[in-house]
Amino acid sequence: MGKILTDNLAPGMFLGADVRDRSGRLLLGRGTELNERHLYILRTWGVVDVEIAGAEEGGNDPKTAKTIDPALWAAVEKKIAPLFLHADNSHPAIKELMCMRIMREAADGKR
Amino acid sequence: MANADIPKEYTLDWLVNETENVYSLPIIYERLTEVINHPRSSIEDITRVISEDQGLTARLLKLANSPLFGYFSKIDTIGKAATIIGTQQLQAMALAVSVMEVFTGIPENLVNMKTFWQHSIACGITARALAIYRREANVERVFAAGILHDVGRLVICTAMPQFFTGLLIAGREEKALLFRMEEESLGFTHADVGGRLLEKWRIPASIAEPVAFHHSPDKARKFPLEAAFIHLADIICKSLDLGFNGERFVPPLEPSSWERLDIPPAALAEVVKHVEPQMADTMAILRGGGP
Repeated sequence: MGKILTDNLAPGMFLGADVRDRSGRLLLGRGTELNERHLYILRTWGVVDVEIAGAEEGGNDPKTAKTIDPALWAAVEKKIAPLFLHADNSHPAIKELMCMRIMREAADGKR
Repeated sequence: MANADIPKEYTLDWLVNETENVYSLPIIYERLTEVINHPRSSIEDITRVISEDQGLTARLLKLANSPLFGYFSKIDTIGKAATIIGTQQLQAMALAVSVMEVFTGIPENLVNMKTFWQHSIACGITARALAIYRREANVERVFAAGILHDVGRLVICTAMPQFFTGLLIAGREEKALLFRMEEESLGFTHADVGGRLLEKWRIPASIAEPVAFHHSPDKARKFPLEAAFIHLADIICKSLDLGFNGERFVPPLEPSSWERLDIPPAALAEVVKHVEPQMADTMAILRGGGP
């Protein structure tokens, strides 16, 4: 069982644990087979990730990162480096944010 | 750096007093707080106070019906909003709206108010989304604190325009963080100023303290978690270029606060995905037709 981000969920997956909203109210019970309507409910209530039966932990690698041309990636990385001058680039959160920024810039560049 | 307009004996209190002569919190907010805190007030009492201010009423209703909440049925009265969203939550939202309206008339060459509020609102929505992720009870408090986190900067800019201009130039030339330079030159930062002003306005500590400690959340005595939400939201918005508050760099992340939040790095993208569709609407509602 592993946590899967709401965005990576698909109909037909089974919940490995109860899903509750921020006040603890039960939204969907363990064992529910997800359908489109459930996904809508999860998004509306701001549920970011849920336990999915049979999913592997850490199965959320940003796959889009691999589709960006390495040369473009390097160019954007260089461009945004000054912004992160005072940030600790080895911290996992900062790494993630830099990655998100690079993907945004790269997507904007393609448009 | 141009320090011409810093008086010899300036203090944090001098600065806040100076500001109080120019800006004051709308009376409606004080009345609202009074009625909400009164043990025998009913929802009707609260509705009556808010309804006296048509602008505030309209904005609160628009917020309640915006993608921020995502309710299916229309919320068409303040009474309904108070019942569904909660009175404490409504009070926090009313505070954000009231304070935003206070800071007007700041010269455009010092601060671009549009991008300033863009950054502030983005920070408020992001902090709120982080709080929702952590399943916090009153996320509107975090929303308000996020929106107000940089008001100290507006205070400094109003009371000491030359110092403020010097700060922006030095930030560019020396590649330094503004809040560090404020600390060096003044002995306090825009975060301290914002926190003190809100405190003086008798805003609840749950909002004033996170503002005061948004660059050093671990030092917050009562609300370090709330401060950490604002701290991280500020860093996220800066990293992704959501609005502009004068600062050119991503502020350093306090590792202990990151750990306190206990949010997996992979969830950040998801949180931001929730935030972005809410940005434009919230900005339009809170800023109205303002410059």
